[in-house]
Amino acid sequence: MSRHLEKKGFSRRSVLRGGLRGMLGGTAVSLGLPILDILLDENGKAFADGAALPTRFGSYFWGLGLTDTPAGGTRWVPEKTGFGYDIKPELESIAHLKDKVSVFSGYRAITDGKANLVHWSGHASILSGAAPGANGRFDAPSFDTKIADAIGGSSRYKMINVDASTSRQPVSYSTRSGTTFASPEVTPLGLYMRLFGDGFQDPNSDNWQPDPSIMLRQSVLSAVKDQRHALMKSVGKEDQIRLDQYFTSLRELENQLEVQLQRPEKCEACVIPDAPKETPPSASIEVVNANTKVMARLLAMGLACNQSRVFNFVHTAGTSETYIGGQSKIYHQITHDEPTDATLGYQPITSQLAGMVMQGFGDFLTEFENIKEGDGTLLDNCLIMGFSDTGYAKIHSIDNIPMFFAGSAGGRHKAGQHVHTTGESVTRVSLTAMQIMGAPVGEFGQGTMKTANPVSEVMA
Amino acid sequence: MKKIISSAVTALLLPAVANAEWTKSYVIEWNEPAMYFGGVDGSITNPGKDCPKGVNPELDWIKVLTNAGYSEEEAKWIRNPANPTRSPVHGQNQVAFRGKDRANVYVHPESYPDPGLYPMEGQVAEGLNLDGDDSTGLTSPAGKKGIDNVFYETLGCWKSYRGPERLSSGALQFNDAMRNGAWTTVVVVHGRGKDPLNDNNVEVGFYLSDDDMVKGGNGEIAPDYTFVVKPDAKYEAIFKAKTENGVIKTKKPSEQVMLRDPGYTRDLELLDAQLELVMNEDGTLRGYVGGYRPWMKVYQGWVDARGPVIEALTWVELPAVYYALKRTADYKPKGAKGPNTHISYALRIDAIPAYVMSPDAHNQVAKIKSYKALVDEPPQVARATRFRVIDGLVPLPDKSLKYGPDVDVFASRKTN
Repeated sequence: MSRHLEKKGFSRRSVLRGGLRGMLGGTAVSLGLPILDILLDENGKAFADGAALPTRFGSYFWGLGLTDTPAGGTRWVPEKTGFGYDIKPELESIAHLKDKVSVFSGYRAITDGKANLVHWSGHASILSGAAPGANGRFDAPSFDTKIADAIGGSSRYKMINVDASTSRQPVSYSTRSGTTFASPEVTPLGLYMRLFGDGFQDPNSDNWQPDPSIMLRQSVLSAVKDQRHALMKSVGKEDQIRLDQYFTSLRELENQLEVQLQRPEKCEACVIPDAPKETPPSASIEVVNANTKVMARLLAMGLACNQSRVFNFVHTAGTSETYIGGQSKIYHQITHDEPTDATLGYQPITSQLAGMVMQGFGDFLTEFENIKEGDGTLLDNCLIMGFSDTGYAKIHSIDNIPMFFAGSAGGRHKAGQHVHTTGESVTRVSLTAMQIMGAPVGEFGQGTMKTANPVSEVMA
Repeated sequence: MKKIISSAVTALLLPAVANAEWTKSYVIEWNEPAMYFGGVDGSITNPGKDCPKGVNPELDWIKVLTNAGYSEEEAKWIRNPANPTRSPVHGQNQVAFRGKDRANVYVHPESYPDPGLYPMEGQVAEGLNLDGDDSTGLTSPAGKKGIDNVFYETLGCWKSYRGPERLSSGALQFNDAMRNGAWTTVVVVHGRGKDPLNDNNVEVGFYLSDDDMVKGGNGEIAPDYTFVVKPDAKYEAIFKAKTENGVIKTKKPSEQVMLRDPGYTRDLELLDAQLELVMNEDGTLRGYVGGYRPWMKVYQGWVDARGPVIEALTWVELPAVYYALKRTADYKPKGAKGPNTHISYALRIDAIPAYVMSPDAHNQVAKIKSYKALVDEPPQVARATRFRVIDGLVPLPDKSLKYGPDVDVFASRKTN
């Protein structure tokens, strides 16, 4: 392959640096290329210079769980455990990727006497390890921030938050404080601009130069460093806490700017996409799934272009607003009001909607699978943890909350298994994700959900 | 699947304080309104002997709203998921204003004509013979006459309550919450005779505990865990009783007791309260606690659970519930004048063996007594809700979005 390219006038160095170059209307343009064999070592596991392909982490959330009823009608829990599990109807959308997806069933959130805050306690427990005491806040940071701290510092954005739900309010469950949640990108165009708009530096460009405006902003921040320290000494304790929180965010900005002032690593899978068109604001499942697909494609390419290594993606909120276009009942209402079919053992329309919602997850993963990277795909170099807020949505159950790991995390996740428990804490799965991703965390959770016991079956 | 323990082993394992006197203690692992299901195929919606027409059908909201004076276009916009005044969590507040002169029907149900409920038409009911009269009431599944459970007769075809045991949506919802720690109720039975199965001098106490139930590997509540009584100024019930062949029966009704309700009303206040509980050979306890409960508080519980949500999810118009309860109420306190204020009711409970400790956790509870005197705090007047509910509605966070009796329904469309 490499000799063939060289005969055509390409050197490995030129491909690494710039991909394809040319002039368009008098303007120099470049087009990144996928990672080619020429760029890799003999095993296709790392760049030829020895640098490992980056591993990324993402969370994918959808609201209203999946169908597994007390009447016995499970629509998602496989019967077989271990590798080669069977696919139930609501998981059809991931059937083509099942060897890359692990399924966790039977895990539950344990509230330790706190109320089950409907459509909140479940995912709050998964993300923070603590049953929350009030709606709208977590009692501890979400664990994605720990992974971002561990692996997110070398990319432009430590973390990207995306909300495809077209809800009335932006939805994000990523938090460091427990009270303030990240601001997500809520439209495909917004996500595009965030990833590839102002400030984007083509990692494959030969003509890379530090951005003077970034240099200026960094110098401004540096200039006030001494004054910051002086100010901290001159205020009371409460103000010191407030200032410390503020300066912590500034320090993160400084780190981000520092990354942007360094020549980025080559990302040959990076192909700068076209800007998406604006989509109509609608929470119908058709629009949400279309958003999910477009935003997944952008996000995947953003990761391939090393704009970030950590993301959180919301398909629909816990109190999902989605509905089938043209109908007056929303999915949330249907989960509660649709009777269980005595013959089937489950709610048929709810299950149909669950399948449509999971189509979003399947499409999302497919976009990651479609990007070739090394001898595999971008998905192979990711760990994407999918989960919901509830188990059996009709009664707001926080038992048997569906959870998934997709991608092999560069070989650290033994993917393609079904792991079943009867009532163990969801935090075991969260801890597993953190440890797979290399976050320095030995235990996770509070109260009964505190655990130092990851799901070792899926850890390589 | 329930764990079955042989009776021989049970005798050794049952939490009991040995002596001539005897004590057995339990934790309630499931409780639900005693609503006999007369369906034939397990379907909640299909007809059965209890409900020949099935459950009350899903509301046609366009028809409901146009009947109340809204134009069809207004009705369709009110019901449109894209309407910014329709909350995906709290429903559409505007539907409340369909009474006479756009009155809020949740607060003023009589401003609205009675939409009616499907009546329970069966002759079989679970519960207790509260008035001691075999000639009134229905017949138990085992053939006992005089079962007084007008609550069931009134609301038994409401989708919230109808269904096989442990499978109605209301029972599932509230028991799931209880089993996950929302509350715990323990039961202590103490007798002074030598034979627990036949003892004429028995007392039964129901208490709250702050200790959560524990689920076993099969997902069911595990027996034989320890629970410390949490004195509560409100939720406590004590009964004078006797046992006959292992069945605990009240000797004389308790004038007034209060249990934690597995429902939106939260307070299960019972007048002339009685019980009938079977001490099973496998160590479990099963049966009924019944009495007359104030029907208006039941209605208010549903309103406070957010009228638009309840109506949308449970397929009844709340004024129909109001009219039905008012019409069928069968009791009022002795000496009270006017219409009946209470309705006969029974709660079915399933309890499993547990160790119940005194509030200081020093001793196993061996005798029945009230712990209310140990409560430092006065009883809560109003429960804290997760939402600020006013007149059955949750105010919209965006105050620019209007709803109410005088609002231009289409104003929200203009802001969308």
